[in-house]
Amino acid sequence: MEILYLLIPLSVVLAFLIGGAFWWSVKSGQFDDLEGPAHRIIADDDSPP
Amino acid sequence: MLDSSSTVLASNSAALLSRRAARAEQPCFHCGNANPPGTQWTAVFDGADRQFCCGGCLAIAQTIRAAGLTAFYARRTAPAARPGSAEDWLGYDAAGETAGWIVRVDADLRETSLLLEGIQCAACAWLNEEYLKRQAGVVAVSVNLATRRALVRWDSRATRLSAVLRAIAAIGYRAYPYDPKRREALAKRERRALLTRTAVALLAMMQVMMFALPGYLSADGVEPQFQALLGWASLVLTLPVVLYSAAPFFRRALRDLRLMRMGMDVPVALGVGGAFVASAWATITANGVVYYDSVTMFVALLLCGRYVELRARQKAGEALEHVAPELPATAERLTAYPRELTTDVVAAVALQTGDVVRVASGAVVPADGEVVDGRSSVEERILTGESWPRTTAPGDPVLAGSINRDSPLIVRVRKAGPATALAQIARLAERAANERPRLAKLADRAAAWFVATLLLIALATAIGWWLTDPTQTLAVTFAVLVVSCPCALSLATPTALAAAVGALGRSGVLVVRGHALEALARARHVVFDKTGTLTTGDIRLINVVALGSHDRDACIAIASALEQGSTHPIARALSGHWASPTVDAVTAVLGSGVEGLIDGRRYRFGRPQWVQELHGRAPPDVNDVAPAATAVALADESGWLGWFAFGDALRPGVRALVDDLSSQGLALTLLSGDRATTAASVARSAGIAQVQGDARPEDKRAFIAGLQQGGVSVAMVGDGVNDAAALAQADVSLSLGSASDLARWTSDVVLLGDDIGRIAGALAIARRTRHIILQNIAWALAYNAVAIPLAVSGALTPLAAAVGMSASSLLVVANALRLGRDAAWAPDRRSDVVTAQLGSGGATS
Repeated sequence: MEILYLLIPLSVVLAFLIGGAFWWSVKSGQFDDLEGPAHRIIADDDSPP
Repeated sequence: MLDSSSTVLASNSAALLSRRAARAEQPCFHCGNANPPGTQWTAVFDGADRQFCCGGCLAIAQTIRAAGLTAFYARRTAPAARPGSAEDWLGYDAAGETAGWIVRVDADLRETSLLLEGIQCAACAWLNEEYLKRQAGVVAVSVNLATRRALVRWDSRATRLSAVLRAIAAIGYRAYPYDPKRREALAKRERRALLTRTAVALLAMMQVMMFALPGYLSADGVEPQFQALLGWASLVLTLPVVLYSAAPFFRRALRDLRLMRMGMDVPVALGVGGAFVASAWATITANGVVYYDSVTMFVALLLCGRYVELRARQKAGEALEHVAPELPATAERLTAYPRELTTDVVAAVALQTGDVVRVASGAVVPADGEVVDGRSSVEERILTGESWPRTTAPGDPVLAGSINRDSPLIVRVRKAGPATALAQIARLAERAANERPRLAKLADRAAAWFVATLLLIALATAIGWWLTDPTQTLAVTFAVLVVSCPCALSLATPTALAAAVGALGRSGVLVVRGHALEALARARHVVFDKTGTLTTGDIRLINVVALGSHDRDACIAIASALEQGSTHPIARALSGHWASPTVDAVTAVLGSGVEGLIDGRRYRFGRPQWVQELHGRAPPDVNDVAPAATAVALADESGWLGWFAFGDALRPGVRALVDDLSSQGLALTLLSGDRATTAASVARSAGIAQVQGDARPEDKRAFIAGLQQGGVSVAMVGDGVNDAAALAQADVSLSLGSASDLARWTSDVVLLGDDIGRIAGALAIARRTRHIILQNIAWALAYNAVAIPLAVSGALTPLAAAVGMSASSLLVVANALRLGRDAAWAPDRRSDVVTAQLGSGGATS
């Protein structure tokens, strides 16, 4: 069970990494428009709107 | 802090900007941020050398000192917010006067509307009002919580706009003269911050639950060394939740306590803070019970609710951010009129009384003034609701916002910018909106009582358990605070509103103000405007009566031939008609009609009196053709040929809407600025019994106020700036997406597109929403009535309490979301009942 001494801190570190990644993605505007990109990918036209 | 205006600065020694190099690493004196190395922004303050991170901070500090408010720096508990840049603040003084944000009330009084950032609750509005009122020179302040706007009036001899803005910044808020673009950026910042807080809490919640699970699952407890490890891991994960995610709750709770009032955030902060400190203590001393799971779950669920609510509120407002100014941004000023006709382009707001401007044909008049040269017709629909252009000649007044139709005009400016009639109507509406009584106060007061009672119960529980079983005191008290968290109660209304707003938004009905749905559900009387609301606002050919040798079609053919090449609305109404003969020698007589030769015969088409001059015969008895419409006659030299009726056509779906609303038991009224006969005719074809014509904007407002005095809740459907005051006066106001921008701004609900039938659907949803809110509140109260006694008796563990609270909240949210799922009304149902236009037959009008 000593592996827990590694795994539990590791999970905490991971949680912080995920939190940091999320913070970055919010900051870079990825959550500003949750609908637009879904429509944009269906649009046949490759040229910018 | 509140009476800092009374403080007089002791040391007033002049010591301004000097280009000394920085000596020690001080934080910025104003905003507390780190200074760039070797900052050149330094000044002597309170007898000591102070360093600033930027010119903006320095400038603000100096202005504060100049206003005698240096005590702010001694009394503040946290550094001020860092200003965006120096210009952002000081520039407002000069720019405000020219751009029209600052309104001259009289020689010394100034007034402006500010958008306040950081307003969370009624306490914030209260704090801002009180603090600003105590500023020297500020005469009156009114903060609208729903729109987050402040109307500030001040004495220009005693203070300035920048000082007002700084005063607001000093108490931790920010204010901007209203500007849609800024508002958008603000909304984005708010949304991102809340989203990050929520995500951090959710992430921590999942992981902490994981760590807590062994404790719940193992029958004989987790071994102590692992228990400690899990405890520390949970502590590390819960820390950001408490310090970052829950920070706003603590901030608001602190403010509530400082103001000696009870808000929803007080028990939340107490519960979260108390449970976290106790758990941390238990982990550090390796002795006691931990509640990290309950804490994180509690915060995460609370934030989820707030985020959903914020998102729905912002979405509804987003479509309105693209409001274009009604006035043209620039004007062509004739610098040396009448000697030369050279023009220079200036900002419309920079125009001054006496300036002479050229208004091109098709352009918007930039200021109120008087025509000095040129003949044309101007359309003042935005101001008067009247769709017919008014002919103008030298000496006639023209108003800002009206459209010059035919040919260029030279106009001498009488009133510009905020002094124009248009701007005044706009402000009237804004003031009405700002001074609307706050229904929300009642709900806040009820919540405050609930919270106060709850805290007393928690305190009594704590004392009771302390006396009987001290080891259980914390767990039970926390359970009481958590289980009774007024979440369900506080979610009951906003989630239902958010869901309804979302459902309506998807079908093209935008709810702009929070109270709109509630007011819609209560509305008993619906008042309609005519032009552009019940009617399309376009002029159409309604009827033609042939009087002479020519038949109907021939009359139309001649008329449309005569009107060829004209931009008059009548010409446009005829343009879709038959192919026409060729015309020679066409002359248009402004305000009267057109004259021309077809196959050698002279025809006139226009105002009957003018047409009559051609042949001199008595007008025919054709009054029954279309009494409400505008009559235009066609004749040749031998006599009358045809009698045309032009008018506004009823919007499709109006009949169905009127029938629908009447069957729901609503009283309907038509108010119009048009002639009484026109209004009556439209009312008749729409099926509205009560009608009032010739109503000026003030009359409309008074009519609604009269209804309200009789205790009736009034919904107003309108369009046009002249309706703005009436829209603001009504309990709830609706406007069509094609309505002028200002009306849209003033109204609580905007129908996108032209389908007026959606109003019936909006009313139905509003009523369902009220129903669901009542269900939710009933549930929340019933839940608390059962859960609180259980918690007080110690039968609930904190986790069970957290689960119970969450389940209750989720139930409330799920119930509210029903509103979004089964949209119980089909807007399309109505569109196939394209009805009874005034049509080609004279009978309907």
